[in-house]
Amino acid sequence: MSFEHVQSRWLFAAVSLGLAVAMLMLGPGIALLATEVAIMALFASSLGFLINYGGMVSFGHAAYFGLGAYGFALAAAKLGLPLWLAVVLGPLTAALGAVLFGALCVRLTHIYFAMLTLACSEIVFTVLFQAYDYTGGDNGLTNFMAPRFGLSPQIYAALTVAIVALCIAFLARIVRSPLGLAIQAVGEEPHRAAALGFSPRLVQLVACVIAGTLAGIAGTMYSVFQGNAFPDYAGVGITIDALVMVVIGGVKGFYGGVFGAIIYVLLKTFVSRAFTHWELVIGLILIAVVLIFPTGIAGLLQKLGLSRTARPSGEQHP
Amino acid sequence: MSREPILVARNVTKQYGGFVALGGVDLTLQPGERRALIGPNGAGKSTFIAVLGGQQAVGPGSTVHFAGRDISGALPQEIARLGIARTFQINRVFRRLSVLDNVRTALLPSNGRVFSVSERHLTALTSPAMTMVTGLGLGRVAHDAAETLSLGDRKRLEFGMVLATRPKVLLLDEPTAGMGLNERRSLMELMVEHAARDQITLLFVEHDIDIVFRFADRITVMSRGKIFAEGTPAEIGANSAVQDIYLGTEGAPS
Repeated sequence: MSFEHVQSRWLFAAVSLGLAVAMLMLGPGIALLATEVAIMALFASSLGFLINYGGMVSFGHAAYFGLGAYGFALAAAKLGLPLWLAVVLGPLTAALGAVLFGALCVRLTHIYFAMLTLACSEIVFTVLFQAYDYTGGDNGLTNFMAPRFGLSPQIYAALTVAIVALCIAFLARIVRSPLGLAIQAVGEEPHRAAALGFSPRLVQLVACVIAGTLAGIAGTMYSVFQGNAFPDYAGVGITIDALVMVVIGGVKGFYGGVFGAIIYVLLKTFVSRAFTHWELVIGLILIAVVLIFPTGIAGLLQKLGLSRTARPSGEQHP
Repeated sequence: MSREPILVARNVTKQYGGFVALGGVDLTLQPGERRALIGPNGAGKSTFIAVLGGQQAVGPGSTVHFAGRDISGALPQEIARLGIARTFQINRVFRRLSVLDNVRTALLPSNGRVFSVSERHLTALTSPAMTMVTGLGLGRVAHDAAETLSLGDRKRLEFGMVLATRPKVLLLDEPTAGMGLNERRSLMELMVEHAARDQITLLFVEHDIDIVFRFADRITVMSRGKIFAEGTPAEIGANSAVQDIYLGTEGAPS
């Protein structure tokens, strides 16, 4: 491990801590917005990890966001469990879902993988929508808790930023670890990897569970943030949001999801105030990104020397 | 030939629909030998390699034994872990990873570190990987992404990766295809040298007859999914029927 690497770790920790502290000084409206950005940054990063490193383009990532939200909300609202336990159960539900759906989906590749993930998330959505007695159907689960556990927007924003930073640091650690290399190897050349002794499906399943669990943490934090849960949290719309964030942010870098979430949520919030068809603006940006700088914002920043991608090598100069 | 053979394939068949790719192939490899597998295009050489590597399932009645163990029907990763490694006809490396990381990745399964999240376990592999990279003459591009390498260097890298799995048998599918004349020989010399040093048995598919006669101990000739002839380079060279199948069918050696 070199100086450069240690330095980037401290830099990450310092920036995260600085951001968390800065949340405490914001106005309530901006703090709420920052919370949404942070949650979506984690969700998009988990999908970006699956796409950029695992080579798996999922069209059903919202399933885990929804399972994270409902795992928490059902535990709190219907089972009456203590909130701390419900908060743990949310991501666990998503992890369990990722084991189940992942084991099914990694049997296929490319567009067939994507379609199977879409089918899985549609199943989750339909169950949440139809199981009215338990989930409240399209009325969702509401009024079972004060949003943010009654914390002020600023404190919840600081808490969210800290948790998201920890999760992203964990992802960076995975990427730089032997497992990270295995995931990239299988993602890029599954036949080569198998002929070296890797079990491709098992490695892919582990990647799915990591991504699904982190998406579940995002879902739980969102449910706590809003104090509710709706079937739409598992809907294809949220998956598309995250896919757009990943593409805008950059499909090659590590921080693509973070940059993408910042841009997407800010545009959605501010452009929609001035202009009803904010999706049009997103669409134009998406076209520009794909055609002009396909490596996204992260790739652009890297080219300008402002950012570095988290790759296992690079830090290993002797 | 009194030693136990390391690889024994018996009656290997493979059909794609109505097309018989392999019509009952028998092949026995002695430990440490360098066997060339030659034949016109479409003879079934690559399919046979894929059967040995587990990429293709064998047809009914086929058996493959490796070091006395039945490996017919085993998965590619199981076969790789037992000690049969292969390179691909179309070069396959992890293009986005650095040269060093390609080799470190190849070292993970045999070191039992595939699912480790500890960076230390990866750092521990840096020095053996670097030794391998330097030994292949790739030291100066060790930190470059594999996609920036020339084809020759990528072939060296893929060879280094399979070597890192510590194989007992190495299957090379057209190791020198697409290379210039001079580079073919130096690449083959490098591979044969490393294989001899690590006492690895070689089975290589090759179209360049000069390379075949220079490097093979024995030659197996395939034609239309069957073994056509087998012998020492001298025997095969003197066999006029072998020359006929090359000249008499389409797809003469390049």
